[in-house]
Amino acid sequence: MRWPLLTLALKSLANRGVSVGLTVLSIVLSVSLFLGVENIRSSVRESFNSTISDTDLIVGARGGSINLLLYSVFRLGDPTANIGWDSYQLIASAPGVAWTVPISLGDSHRGYRVVGTNTAYFDHYRYGRSRPLEMAEGREFERVHETVLGAEVARRLDYGLGGHILLSHGIGDVSFAEHSGHDFEIVGILEPTGTPVDRSVHVSLESIEAIHVGWESGAPPPAGAQAAADPEALVPDSITAVLVGADSPIRVLGLQRQINTYRGEALSAVMPGVALSRLWQVIGAGETAFKAISLLVVVVGMTGILTALSSGLNERRREMAVLRATGARPADIFALLVLEAASIAAAGALIGIAVTWIALSLVARGVAARYGLDLGGTGPGLTELVVFIAVTLAGAALGAWPAWRAQRNALADGLSIRL
Amino acid sequence: MSMPAIAISGLRFAWPGAPVLLDIKSFKVGAGEAVFLAGASGSGKSTLLGLIAGITPCDTGTVSVLGERMEPRRPARRDALRAANLGIVFQLFNLVPYLSPLENVLLPLFFSPERAGRLTGAGQAPEDEARRLLGVLGLTGDMLERRATALSVGQQQRVAAARALIGHPGLVIADEPTSALDHDARDAFLALLTEECRASGAALLFVSHDRTLAGRFDRQVDLVAINRAGVAA
Repeated sequence: MRWPLLTLALKSLANRGVSVGLTVLSIVLSVSLFLGVENIRSSVRESFNSTISDTDLIVGARGGSINLLLYSVFRLGDPTANIGWDSYQLIASAPGVAWTVPISLGDSHRGYRVVGTNTAYFDHYRYGRSRPLEMAEGREFERVHETVLGAEVARRLDYGLGGHILLSHGIGDVSFAEHSGHDFEIVGILEPTGTPVDRSVHVSLESIEAIHVGWESGAPPPAGAQAAADPEALVPDSITAVLVGADSPIRVLGLQRQINTYRGEALSAVMPGVALSRLWQVIGAGETAFKAISLLVVVVGMTGILTALSSGLNERRREMAVLRATGARPADIFALLVLEAASIAAAGALIGIAVTWIALSLVARGVAARYGLDLGGTGPGLTELVVFIAVTLAGAALGAWPAWRAQRNALADGLSIRL
Repeated sequence: MSMPAIAISGLRFAWPGAPVLLDIKSFKVGAGEAVFLAGASGSGKSTLLGLIAGITPCDTGTVSVLGERMEPRRPARRDALRAANLGIVFQLFNLVPYLSPLENVLLPLFFSPERAGRLTGAGQAPEDEARRLLGVLGLTGDMLERRATALSVGQQQRVAAARALIGHPGLVIADEPTSALDHDARDAFLALLTEECRASGAALLFVSHDRTLAGRFDRQVDLVAINRAGVAA
C-alpha cells in the first residue's frame, strides 16, 4: 500500500488555506470569464447565423449578396434599386415556389425601419431553429394604418397596444418629412427574437402605398391633395426584396439560376445561409480577438499557481527532508507538488464552471427576453469538459517547475535540514 | 538478525568542491546494538547519517545497512531500503505540519509496502500499532488528532520516535534529538527511545555532542576517532 499522494497534496493545500484559496479564486474568475465570453460568443454566432432560416432565397435588385442580405434581413444600408411588382408576381407564381414574402423598405419611425409586407411575413419568416414569429400581444395587421412592432421598438419607445405612431419618409433618425395625416395604430407587438425583426415596424404594403399617395415626385404632397385612397386599389409598383420558400430543397438552385438570368429585370437571388456565413467572415474577426483575450486571461490567472507553490518552497524544505527521511523518493516529492498544482487548477476550473453555469442560468431568462439570445443552452457540456481537462493539465505543467526545484532541493539538502 | 545494522568500510566522502570530510576505514553497529556517536557540530556527523540513510550516495567505499548495500548508482533502491529498514529522528521540526501526529507516525508505512507488510504480516493493524507506540511514549487521546504544530517540542520528538519505530525497522538513527529539550524531558525521552528500540530489536545510532547521555548506550564511539579526515585537517 502506497500513500495516496493526492491525499497528502490536498492536506498540504488545506494547511495553506488563504494563499491557496486566493490562487483558486483567480483561476475561478479567469475560467468564468473565458466560459462566459465563449458562451456569449457562440450564442451570438448561433443567433447571427440563424437570423433568418427556412427561407431558401432572398431576391432583390442586382447587386452584391452581402448588400442584399444587409438591407433585406438586417435592415441596414440602402437598397440599390427596387424590383418591379410584375417581377414579384412572376416569382410568386413560378413553379417550385411554395411561398413568397414581399418586403418594401424606405420609411422609418424614430430611427427604426418600417417594413412593408403582407401577413405571409408572420406565417413564413423563421429564425433560429425554424422558430416562427410569435405575437406577444395583439394580432397581425389587417387593414391600412395598422402596425405590428418588433419587441425592441415597443420596449425602447415604451409603446403599447392601441397607441398611435407616425411614420417618416426616409430612414434617418431625425426626419423632417413625416407622413402626417397617417396615424398608425399599434395592433400587435412581437415576442423578442434576437434578430433585426425586433427593431422593425411592420405595416402592410397597402399602408406603404397609402402614405405615399401624392409623393410620386419624392416630396410631400401639398396639403389637402391626399386622395381618400381605396385600399383595394393600393397596389405597389415596386417592392424592395422578396423572401422565397421553395417546394423542395432540390429546386432552390434551379430557381436561383432562373431568377439570376431573368431577362425582364436585373435581379439577384441569394441563399441566406451562404450570404450569412460570408458576412460572418467579415465581421467575425472580432470574435477571434475576444477568444484570444479571454484565453490570455486564463493563462494570467493560472500563473498564480507558480506564485503559490514557489513562494512556499523554502519554508517547505524541512517538510521535504522529513518526507525523504520517512522513505519518499525524489519522484514522490516531484509528484506531490505537481499534484498540488493540478488540484488547485482542477478546483479553480470546477468552481469556475459551476459559477459560470449558475450565473448564466440566473441571467438567461432576462437575456432571452430582452435580446433573444439563448445563453447556456443545455448546461455544461463538451466545452466545459475540455476546459476542465486543459486547465488541470496546464496546472500540472505549471507545477512541474516548482516541483523540479523542490526535488533538486531535497536531493541537495540530504538529511541536513537548514533552519 | 545476524547481519550488522551498519557496516561501513573504506568510506571517503567530500561534498563537491570541498575537502574530504569523511574518511572512515571501518565502522560497525551490530544488530540491536545501541551506539552513542559523539561529534561536535560541523564534524560531518549529519553527512555520515545521510550516507547511512542512503539519501546521499557514497561513491568511495561501501555502506551497508542490515546486510544490504546502499548502492550509489541505485537511488530508488536506497530510498526503498531506507523506507523499509530505517527510522530517523531529527533534532527539531520532525513532523509534517499538515498531518496529525497519528498520520505522521503512519507515514513510513505508506512509503514502504515492505514495512507495512511486516505489521500486517504479524496481524497488527497499522493504526493500532501507531496508537500503541504513541501511548507507550505518553501521547494519548485527542493529542493524536491535533495539528502536529500544536504539540510541544518534547511531544513532537516523541511522535518522531514513534514514527521511527513503527513497522519494526532494524535501525533507528537519531540526530541530536534531545538538544532542544530541557533536562527532565531529555532524560525521559532518552529512556523511552532506548527502551523501545531494545524492545523492538532495532539497533540505535544516537548522535550527540552531549557526552553526559552516553551512559545509557551499549557503546560509545567518537567520530573524530574513526574519521581520519578529521585528524588530517
